[in-house]
Amino acid sequence: MLRMPHVAAPPRTAVRLRTWRDWRAWPDNLAQLWRRSLRFRTVLVALALTALTILVACISMALAIQNNLFNSRRDQVLADSRRAADTAQTTLDDAVVQSDPVQMQNLLNSVVSSLAQQSSTDRIAVIRINTTPSQLAPQGSHTDGLDPDLISPELRRHVQGSTNADTQWWQSVGLPSGNGRVTPGIVVGQQLVMPDVGPYELYLAFDLQVASQTLSFVQATLWIVGTALVLLIAAISWFVLRSVTTPIREAADTSAELAAGNLDVRLAVHGDDELATLGRSFNAMADSIQAQIKELGDLSLVQQRFVSDVSHELRTPLTTIKLASDMLNDHRGEFDPAMSRSAELLHAQVQRFEVLLTDLLEISRYDAGSVQLELEPTSLAHLAEDVIGSMSQLAEQFGADLRLVAPGGYSPVDMDPRRIRRIVRNLLGNAIEHGEGRPIVVTVDSNQQAVAIGVRDFGLGMAPEDSERVFDRFWRADPSRKRTIGGTGLGLSISLGDAHLHGGTLTVWSQVGRGTNFVLTLPRPGQAFDGRSPIPTDPGDEGSFENLGVTQPIVLPKTGSES
Amino acid sequence: MTSRILVVDDDTALAEMIGIVLETEGFDAVFCADGAEALTTWRDSEPDLILLDLMLPGMDGIEICTRVRAESGVPIIMLTARSDAEDVVAGLEAGADDYIVKPFNPKELVARIRTRLRPAVAVQPEAMHIGDLVVDVSGHEVRRGAEAIPLTPLEFDLLVALASKPQQVFSREALLEQVWGYHYKADTRLVNVHVQRLRAKIEADPDNPRIITTVRGVGYRAGKTR
Repeated sequence: MLRMPHVAAPPRTAVRLRTWRDWRAWPDNLAQLWRRSLRFRTVLVALALTALTILVACISMALAIQNNLFNSRRDQVLADSRRAADTAQTTLDDAVVQSDPVQMQNLLNSVVSSLAQQSSTDRIAVIRINTTPSQLAPQGSHTDGLDPDLISPELRRHVQGSTNADTQWWQSVGLPSGNGRVTPGIVVGQQLVMPDVGPYELYLAFDLQVASQTLSFVQATLWIVGTALVLLIAAISWFVLRSVTTPIREAADTSAELAAGNLDVRLAVHGDDELATLGRSFNAMADSIQAQIKELGDLSLVQQRFVSDVSHELRTPLTTIKLASDMLNDHRGEFDPAMSRSAELLHAQVQRFEVLLTDLLEISRYDAGSVQLELEPTSLAHLAEDVIGSMSQLAEQFGADLRLVAPGGYSPVDMDPRRIRRIVRNLLGNAIEHGEGRPIVVTVDSNQQAVAIGVRDFGLGMAPEDSERVFDRFWRADPSRKRTIGGTGLGLSISLGDAHLHGGTLTVWSQVGRGTNFVLTLPRPGQAFDGRSPIPTDPGDEGSFENLGVTQPIVLPKTGSES
Repeated sequence: MTSRILVVDDDTALAEMIGIVLETEGFDAVFCADGAEALTTWRDSEPDLILLDLMLPGMDGIEICTRVRAESGVPIIMLTARSDAEDVVAGLEAGADDYIVKPFNPKELVARIRTRLRPAVAVQPEAMHIGDLVVDVSGHEVRRGAEAIPLTPLEFDLLVALASKPQQVFSREALLEQVWGYHYKADTRLVNVHVQRLRAKIEADPDNPRIITTVRGVGYRAGKTR
């Protein structure tokens, strides 16, 4: 089992750092992470949900604690103040006053100080309810901690209106503390009855400083714990997910590598879990693909061997037949007419058979991908001139005039001259055969990217559905038409194969009544070729050779002057 | 005197047919159908030329070629069913003078044979000097000082062709026409392989040739006479 080779990939973290350094790219980066990283997305969702849950829990806990703290403090305060008030009332009831205002005032003061001791608060106010002026009744008294203005009119109304002196009323207030701040507090009010002078309002204020501090501490603890929990859960899910996504990412990388053609890569399989099953299935798939590809490769090799063997096996008997038919043909003058004609036919058909065999073998070589170009720098214009020269005799038989127009394409370009010559010969042969004896124009031109040669005849032309099929094997435009130049029906397929081997194109334009134009385009080596030929496939002329403006064959400079 | 030609081919029909063609043209044909017996038959019949099929039972054609070359410079023409590069080059490197691809026609075959059998071209000077070599044209011999260098007839023809016009550059096509008798564009590998073989025999340092130099993109030329 092979581990995934960690080849010299660019360090991922470095790339990440570079992209993260630019803050303006962050939204894009985050969106990309969201889209592409399962782990990032899952962790983010888990984080959001956990944070929400913990937030709700913390808030409700904080509220409950706050409520509870306040209630218990309030109960304590109420109990304290009742005890203090009861003691004070008892003191007042027991006091013996002789309608002396000074004694009265002293009594009130002593009651206030005892209240302060009893109730553990120094915020005390005593206010007379009856506003009728009285010589005897003291007007009331309050300590510094409780300004009567702090007591709300509602509370006072309730206390004043109380029929039972024991009833307590309370209210939450903000109490000024020493340094100008306000602390939360509770004011408890009830009546206090002074002997002889009637009821007084008694207010005791308690601050909730301690409870408030406790509450803040509890809340702070809650928030800290909540945040820590959220972070902890995020970290945990990150690590848990890593154990899942890392094998998935590994599988993805391995599949990509397999798809890229490295058939030897396999996943490392540990254990028996779902991931291991995934790994095993993946490896089984890779094994199967590798086996099939190997089988196909072997088949292709077998095919090539077969073609090669057929080549040898057929050629030897064909040689004997050919030698024999040549012998017979050479001596056919000595035979009677029937025998003589038979010998002639045999000879011609053996030749045809040989051409067919050669073409078939050539085609099967393309199919097997075993063709190799033998490149040498060649001037396309001079090559065209050569081929025209070698075909002129045939053209003459058909009454066709071969013309060469070569504005460019003289400088040598790397090509396999044997194959290119075969293409040009083939195109010219077709043009001569179908050109109706009209002139045939061969154009050679070049641009920065490519060199091209066009062969144009002004014959019958072909319908579009025919011209689409000219490169098909064994296809003939008009099966009923008499073939005058022996062709196998493979010529244009082979030409197209040769053009493609050169990285070039072979295109056709044809119109009924206007003739046909084939253009072979060969890219210059090392040039980016976008398929645009220096010679347009559609000649764009009027389909008449008279107004070509070329009436005289052009004389080319001789070979070798510019290599 | 009729030339005797040894036809080594396991396909008896083809061998017989080649025999008929050769006898029609006035040659004397000897046959061998088994690669393993080819060398014995060759030694017994002492032919003037060997037509050798590359695919043979018993012993491979290339192996036969190598062994014959080790003993003799007799012209060898390979008969090959494949024009594939490796086979042809392997045969030429083993010492075959020329090759002919099946199926061939009788005229082609006879022309190839006659070219290899024709007497060396009569050149004006009987002895030529090229580099530190002396080429005795009529005696068919090349010497460096007192030491004779054994060359096959083809290699000798090639050297004579180059040496007859010192300093003149011969294109591969020109050499194909003059030495091999091809009048059309043929396989230039014939020239390349045989120039290599010739250099291996006559150059002091074949990797750094001084007698036969390559002119890039054009062809070959022989060095100055001394």
